[in-house]
Amino acid sequence: MSGASHEGTSPSTVKERAEIALNNEFLRKAVKFTTERLRTGKKSASEEHGNWDLWRERGRQIRLHTIAHLDYYLSQFIENARANGVHVHFAATSEEAVELTMAIAKEAGARSVVKSKSMVSEELHINAALEKAGIESVETDLGEYIIQLAGEAPSHIIIPAIHKNRYQIAELLSKEAGKELPPDTSILAGFVRRKLREKFLEADIGMTGCNFAIAETGSIVLFENEGNARMVSTVPKTQITLMGMERIIPTWDDLEVMSTLLPRSATGQKLTVYMSGITGPRRPLDGDGPEEMHIIIVDNGRSLQLGDPEFQELLNCIRCGACLNACPVYRQIGGHAYGGTYSGPIGAVLTPSLNKNIMEWDDIANASSLCGACYEACPVKIPLHDMLVYLRNRKVKNGKRMMLESAGMKGFKLVMGNHKLYESAVKIGRAGQVLVKREGKIKAKIGPLKGWNSYRHLSALPKQSFREAWQELEKDLKQEMREMTAETKQRMEQALKTRKGGGNSHEQH
Amino acid sequence: MSSTEHEAFLRDLREKSLRQQEQFIGNIKQRLGRSGQGGEPPAHPFKGAPDFWQEFELKQDERVNLFMDNWKKAGGHAVQLRTMEEAKRFIVQLSKDLSAKQLLIQNQEELHAMELDRSLNGAEVSVWHQQQGLSVAAGADIGVVVVDYAAAYTGSIIVTSSPDKGRSVSLLPTVMIAIIPAERLYTRVGQVLAHFNGSIREQMPAGIHFISGPSRSADIENDLTIGVHGPGIVYALVVTNE
Ligand code: SF4
Repeated sequence: MSGASHEGTSPSTVKERAEIALNNEFLRKAVKFTTERLRTGKKSASEEHGNWDLWRERGRQIRLHTIAHLDYYLSQFIENARANGVHVHFAATSEEAVELTMAIAKEAGARSVVKSKSMVSEELHINAALEKAGIESVETDLGEYIIQLAGEAPSHIIIPAIHKNRYQIAELLSKEAGKELPPDTSILAGFVRRKLREKFLEADIGMTGCNFAIAETGSIVLFENEGNARMVSTVPKTQITLMGMERIIPTWDDLEVMSTLLPRSATGQKLTVYMSGITGPRRPLDGDGPEEMHIIIVDNGRSLQLGDPEFQELLNCIRCGACLNACPVYRQIGGHAYGGTYSGPIGAVLTPSLNKNIMEWDDIANASSLCGACYEACPVKIPLHDMLVYLRNRKVKNGKRMMLESAGMKGFKLVMGNHKLYESAVKIGRAGQVLVKREGKIKAKIGPLKGWNSYRHLSALPKQSFREAWQELEKDLKQEMREMTAETKQRMEQALKTRKGGGNSHEQH
Repeated sequence: MSSTEHEAFLRDLREKSLRQQEQFIGNIKQRLGRSGQGGEPPAHPFKGAPDFWQEFELKQDERVNLFMDNWKKAGGHAVQLRTMEEAKRFIVQLSKDLSAKQLLIQNQEELHAMELDRSLNGAEVSVWHQQQGLSVAAGADIGVVVVDYAAAYTGSIIVTSSPDKGRSVSLLPTVMIAIIPAERLYTRVGQVLAHFNGSIREQMPAGIHFISGPSRSADIENDLTIGVHGPGIVYALVVTNE
C-alpha cells in the first residue's frame, strides 16, 4: 500500500504511459473536466482580485531575491528554527532523508505515522521505507488516502485522485470498511473522517510538508483545505516536516504575497480554508501540538539548479499546479503519463533537472507543446516554455540522437529557424501541433505528440485506437486554440532571435 | 527508551546536523558563486505586498459585511450581533437546536463571563485545559473560540495557540463557533501578518491558524464535501459592541 509500489509495474516511457492514459476514456474526461474547472476558478479569482500581473511580478521578485540569497535566508531560518527548539537536519539526497526519518521513527518507537500531503515525501518514497520497517504510514489527505488504498501515485498536484470516479472510490473504501458503502460522496467522505480520526489519535508521528518557511522567525507555513495538516501537526507527539531547501521566504510580510498567489492559482480560492504558521514545538505550558519537532531540509537535486542561468528560476516554483491546468497536453493525457513525481509542464522540466540526468528523461520534454500557456498561468512567472526549449537543446547537444529525436528536432528547428513559419505556427495555435512541411511532405509533427506518430512508435501502438485517440485529441486541442498574448509572443520571438544569433551554443546539434 | 538515552540520540543528531550544515550551505554558496561567511543581510526591496495594496482600507461596516459575505460563500454561517450577551444567547440556542452534549470553550475571559454552563442544562461545558485537552476536544460537539484577529478580504479568522488556547478547540469538534469582536477585524491578511512580522521570536505562538470556512474537499469527483477532517459546520459571530 505504498506510493512507490506502482513503480515496479508501470510502463517506462511517456509514450507507453500516454498510450494507457489515452485509452482510458474516463481518465481523459476526468482530467479535462477537473483541470478546466480549476483553470476557470483561477481565472476568475485572479481577475476578481485585480492587478494580477503586479502581484505576479511581486511574487516573482520575492522568489528571485530569496533564491539569489538562499545561503543567507536558509541559514537565518535554521538558526531561528533551532532557537525555537526544532531539531533541524539536512539531507543531500532522498536516501539521506529516508534514513533520517527512519532513525527518528525508530527512536520514537513509532508504530504508525500519519502524513499530510507533501510532494517532497513523494520524491522520497517514504511510505515504502516505513512499511518495510513495520510502521504503518497513512496518507490523510482524502485524495491521497484514496490513491494510497489503490496503490497508485498521485496524478495531479492539487487533486491527486482526479483519475478515480466515485464508484471506484466506493469499491476501495468498502474493502477498508469491511462492508458495502454506496457511491455517495458525503457518505464516503464521512467514512474517511471517522476512519482517519482514529488514525490521527493513535499515531505516534505526524509528517508534513512545507509550503513556505519563514526565515525571520524559523516558522513553517502549511496551506490546506481539509484540516488534516492541522491534525497531523496538532495531535501526534512527534512531528517530522520535510522541506525542500528552496521553500524559504524572508518575512511574514512576504507571506501576504504568497498567500495571495498560491490559493488563487491552485484552486481559485481567496485563501485555502486553513493556512497554518507553525513556529517550533508546543510551548512548555501548551496543551497540544507536538512535543518534539524535526525539520528535514532536503536538497535531492535542487542545488543543481542554483547558478544555472537557464534553470535557476525553477526553484521559484510554489507548486500551485496552475501550469498543469493550463497545459493542453496535460489536460488531455493526465499526470500518470509523466511518470515522475511532478507532472505537467513543471514536471517536464523539473524531473530531469532533479534527476541530474537529462538523458534519462528523453521523452518528457517532447510531450509539451511550447505554446506558452504554462508561463501565462504561472503566478511567479517561471518561463517554463523557454526551459523546455533549453532542455531539448541540451539533450541534442549531449549527443543523444535517436531517429525520432533528430527528426523531431529538425522539424522543431525548422519552425524556430524560419520566422514566417514560426509566426504562422504561433497563429495556428498555442497548442502547437504544427505540421512541418519539408520537401512538400509532412515529415514531423511538432507539439504534444511529436514523434509518437513516427514509424518507430507506430508499431508499438494499436493503430486504430491510437489514431482515433489522436484525432480526438487534435480536435480538442483545436478548440482550445487562441491567440497568444502579446507578452508571450514577444518572449518567444526574443528566444528565436537569440537562437538565430551566431555563437549560440544551443544552436549546434 | 530512557530520557537520557533519548537526549543522547538527539545530541548525536545535532552534532551531525551542525557538521552537515557547513557543507550544505557551503554548496549553495558555491553554486551561487559566493564565498566567505554569511555577511550582511541582503537588502530586500520587494518585501511584502505591492504599494497600492497597502493603501487599501475599508470602513468598519464594510469590513463586517465583506467578512460575512466571504464566510458565507465559503460555506459557513455568519451573523452580526451587538453584544457579547447576544452572542451568548446565540450559542445557547444553537447548542439546544443541535442537541449538543459536549461544549468545549477556550480558557478565555470573554467566554468565562458568559457562564454558559448555567444556561445549558443537558450539555456539559468544558474549559480548555493543558491536561486532557485533546481527549475532551476529540469528544466535543461544539468548540467555542474568541478569535485573535480576522481579515475581511479573504473571510478569515485567525486563532493562535497558548496555554489557555488549544489548537484542538477550533479543529476537532464537529461544529466550531468563532466570536469576532469587530475591532479585531481588519481589511487585509497583511494587516494581521504585520503582527508577526519582525516580532520577537521568543514571543511567537507555536501555532497561528488562519481559518476561512468549513473543512472541505473536492477530491471525490470534484464534488464538494465539507467536514472531511476539521469542523464542517462553522459559525462566525461578529460582535460590534455598539
Ligand atoms: S511552475 Fe509556476 S504554475 Fe507551475 S506549479 Fe510551479 S509556480 Fe505553479
